Order: sequence, then structure tokens, then C-alpha cells
Amino acid sequence: MKEEKTTIDVRKITKFYGSGESRFQVLKDICLKIEDGDFAVILGASGSGKSTFLNTISGLERPDNGNIFYDEKDITALSDSELTEFRKENVGFIFQQYYLLPHMSVDKNVKMGADLSGNKDYKAVIEAVGLGEKLHKYPSELSGGEQQRASIARALAKKPRVLFLDEPTGALDEQTGRQVLDYIGKLQKEYKFAIIMVTHNQNIAEMANTVIKMNSGKISEIYSNEVQKTAYEIGW
Amino acid sequence: MRLGGDEMVIGIKDATKLFGVSVIACCAVLVCTMFFNFYLDVMLIEDRILSEQAMMFYHAQLSTAKVVCLVSGGCLLITSVIMLLFYIKHYIDTHRKELGILKALGYSKLKIAKNFWVFGISIFTGTAIGFCGAFLLMPAFYGLQNEDNILPEITIRFHPSVLLYFVILPTIAFTILAIFYAYFKLKQPVLTLLKDSLQTSSKVKKNKDSKNKDCLFIDELRKNTLKRKKTLVFFIVFAAFCFSAMTQMSFSMKDLSSEMMGAMVLLIGIVLACVTLFLAITTVINGNTKTIAVMRVFGYSQKECCKALLGGYRPMSYIGFAIGTVYQYALLRIMVDIVFKDIESVPVYEFDFPVMLISLVTFIVIYEIIMYCYSEKIKKISVKEIMLE
Repeated sequence: MKEEKTTIDVRKITKFYGSGESRFQVLKDICLKIEDGDFAVILGASGSGKSTFLNTISGLERPDNGNIFYDEKDITALSDSELTEFRKENVGFIFQQYYLLPHMSVDKNVKMGADLSGNKDYKAVIEAVGLGEKLHKYPSELSGGEQQRASIARALAKKPRVLFLDEPTGALDEQTGRQVLDYIGKLQKEYKFAIIMVTHNQNIAEMANTVIKMNSGKISEIYSNEVQKTAYEIGW
Repeated sequence: MRLGGDEMVIGIKDATKLFGVSVIACCAVLVCTMFFNFYLDVMLIEDRILSEQAMMFYHAQLSTAKVVCLVSGGCLLITSVIMLLFYIKHYIDTHRKELGILKALGYSKLKIAKNFWVFGISIFTGTAIGFCGAFLLMPAFYGLQNEDNILPEITIRFHPSVLLYFVILPTIAFTILAIFYAYFKLKQPVLTLLKDSLQTSSKVKKNKDSKNKDCLFIDELRKNTLKRKKTLVFFIVFAAFCFSAMTQMSFSMKDLSSEMMGAMVLLIGIVLACVTLFLAITTVINGNTKTIAVMRVFGYSQKECCKALLGGYRPMSYIGFAIGTVYQYALLRIMVDIVFKDIESVPVYEFDFPVMLISLVTFIVIYEIIMYCYSEKIKKISVKEIMLE
């Protein structure tokens, strides 16, 4: 949404959990580059480190070693408040469990994201995800798919440069999952933000232009899709 | 909460969370036991009173004891009941999944609710400590109440009825209340209990949020937080009320009563206010951990999270302080004008503005320190909190 070209440059990051004898390495010297407007999918089995990797490159966690550059800015060198400011200005998140605020309407949930970027026209995003009629509904009055679309609107209303998605269709059935992915794909083409999505569903990787496979804390394979399929063209 | 074969749903550890109820019960019983025991002991010396002046003093002492018992006991009893019910509801809300599983497995509502008897322990602990504390303080208290020896010597006696009224009956009553309230709350269908509380708790009234189109999200959340937990608003108001009423009363009382009474009222006021405030704010933060985590993930600062979740309580606390000021003035006015009206040499009582000012400034300082501590707690809430599920 912002005009600058975004490049995420991940340089040899490592991450450990635990201490003493129970200390184990979750991320092992990972290097990666994500270009502006990329649609990257991170695939991997449970415990492969993909969620930790997502948390680390999005600025939610700090790596123990290595650097993560957004343009020329090394986010590993930022203080906590600077990191908060960085997230405010650059990234959006979509979670498997939606995490909408249950006591607030769709309108107010999306406003949560919009206020961060001073976006007064946030209702256009709600319309874009097909929830224009449900503006004043509460999360409990929405279906799972609608809740996820509301969380997409919330993330996009803050005009992120990079959108991070952690198993966004994990709690949805096939039809709803395809619908949600379709909205994400279309909105990315319209707003040109980069997408980094963690999923265990290999079929979703066919929608991406970059596929990153992880195993035991390492990137085992990176490849590009010459043709990006739509949500309704992929298998499930 | 245990789901094992011993059928224990709630442990003693859970009862310790009702620390606030124990403190309030302790304060209530401490004051009521001293005054009620004194009331009963003073009544026994009526036959030995010979002078008219002593008789008037005798009646004034009885009236004082009655008023203090009814006002402080009644006020703190209502607060204890509200706090107990609030914590049982809070417990059920935070353990709804486990309780739902038990119901799904075939445990009856009554069988589960019976386990809530453990909350009665907190009442027993508080009342027992208050009762014992009162008997420890009683020699000094009796001495001060009859400092000028207007009345004949008053002997401290143990009245079983005091133990019954202030320890045994409250413990039984609160235990039964806990069981029946839990039974009532557990009437929810199993599926409702099993659903994620974050989602099911959204049976909210259609608020006026849609009308406030230009209202910022943070302001909206602040209003929403206040509206959702009205009990917490009551506790914040109560905390400020206690602080205001009791600190001002303790200084105003120095001419009307003893320094010991003043110090005791001051101590009870500060303890009650701090404990209630601490518990209320802890509940606000704990109940909004996920909201804070989501806000932090999206880039809201610690200050903004604090403003959204705690900012709304500040004006409420000032309202509580104002009510407390009026209350303590009215109470002392009644005491002086009605209870002590026939007693000679009772000092003139006027509203003490400097004391009110000092009390207000102290309250603001304490309140802001507590808020600062909680804003640091918000800072420590991991943004990964929601990612780990």
C-alpha cells in the first residue's frame, strides 16, 4: 500500500528455546529474501520451526543470532518500543483463531487496525471482504469464514507492507477456506502487499510465487511457482 | 481444578484467590466483634450506673456501638457478598471448558457446585482472624472507650453468640451462597461451556458504538471495558470510597474518639482500598490478556493499551472518593448531632478541608503508583501469548 519497495532480508538467524540441558535450537542459520509484493508460503511439519520463523521475521520474537533487514533497517537492533512502532507501520497479522475482540462489532474490530494508520476509509476494506452488510454484527454472530474475513479486513485496514498469516484456513472447512484464500489473493493483487503465510496444507503453496519448505529448523527447499493458481484452482 | 477420581473440582489453592474477600471479612469482623462484644458487656453494667451523666454516656456508647456495627458490618457484608459472587462467576468463566467437560462426562450441576464449598474457607479464614484480632485489641479498646472512667469497670467477656454471629454463621451462609450461586451459573448448556470463552462471552447488548462514528478505537475499547464489567467499576469506586471515608474519618475522629480508633480506622481504610483496587485491576488485566496481546501484535504501545483498559476507571475512582467524603461527613455529623447530642463536652465537628485535600493527594499518588505498576505488567505480556495456542 505504501509506495516504497519492501525487501525482507533474513541473514543467518538462529533461535534457541529452553535452557541448560533442555535447550534446543529451533531455527538454524536461516537466510531468506522476500521481495515486495511476494506471495510466500512456508510449509513444514509440526515442530519444523515455521511458526517461530514467522514470529521472528515479523518482529514478534527476537532471534538469538543473525539479522533481519526491512529495506535497510535491521529490526533485530530495535528496542521494544521501536519494534512496536515498526509493527504498527509495517506489518499485519492474521491468525488461525481470528482473535477478534468479542465485545466489539466488526466495524470496531476493523477500526482497531485502521486507527493505527489513520485510515479513515477503512469501510472500503470491510466491503472488499464482503462484510459490508455485517458491519455492526459481533464476532459471535458471524460464521468462522466471516470471522476470518473480518480479521483480514482488520489486518488490511492498517495498510501493512507485509501481511503475516499463521494457518489462516486451519479452522475452516474447504469451501470457506477457499473463499478466504480467494479474498486474500484478490486483495493482494489490488493492494500489492507482500504475503508470508505459514501452512501445513501443501496445496495452498500453489497459490504462492515463492514456496519455502522447512524441516528441523532449517529451510530444506525454496522454489518458485511459474504459475500462481487461484484459490479455486488448487486441490485441498 | 482436578478431574481425577477423587471428584475434587476446585482445590484449596483456588480458594486462596479470594484473598480480597478474606481481607474484607477480617476487617468487618474485627470492627463488629469489638463493638458488639463491647455492646454486650456494657449492657451488663447498667445496674451499676448511678449518676445521670454516666447513664447518658452509657446510652451514647450503646448507640455508637450499634451504629458502627450496623454501618461498617453492613457495608462490608454487602461488599463481601458482591466480591464472592464476582469471583465465583469469574472462576466459572475462566474454567468453563473444564466444567463443560465434567458436565459432558455426566457430573450433575449440584455435584459440581458442591465443590464450591471451598470458597467458604476464605470467609472462615477472614472472620476467624478478625475475631481473634478483635479479642487481642479488646483490652486497649475497652480502656479507651471508658478512658475517663465515667462508667464502672467493664469486664471483657466471651459471648458465644458473637462467635456464632460473626464467624460460624457467615462461614455457613457464604458457603451455601457459593454452592447455590455456582449451581445457578452452571445451568448453562454443556456446549456453551465448552465453547471458547473469548467467543461465547460476547452476548453483549448492542452498544451505542455505531453512533460514535468518529470515536477512536482506544476510546471505544475504554468505554466497552467499563460497560462489560460493572462489578469491577463498583470495586474501584468502593476502594476509593474506603480510602476517602476512612482516612478522613480517622483524622476527624481524633477529637471525637481516641487516637487508637483513628489509627485503626486509617489502617483498615488503606488495607481495604489497596486490596480491593489491586484485585480489581488484576482482574481487568487478566481478563484482557488476549486483547492486550492482539493490540501489542498490531503495534499499539504499552501506554495506549493502558489507556484503553485502565483509563476509564480513573474518573470512577474520583467519584468514589467524592462519595466517601460526603459519607464520612454525614456519618460523623449524625454521630455528633444525634448520638452524642446529650453529652456535654463533645467537641464541635466541622468539615476538615485540609484533611480532605491531603487525603485526595495521597489517594491520587497511590492510585497512580498502582497504575504505573500495572502498566509495567502490561509491558511484560508477551505478544506471543496468542500465538502459542
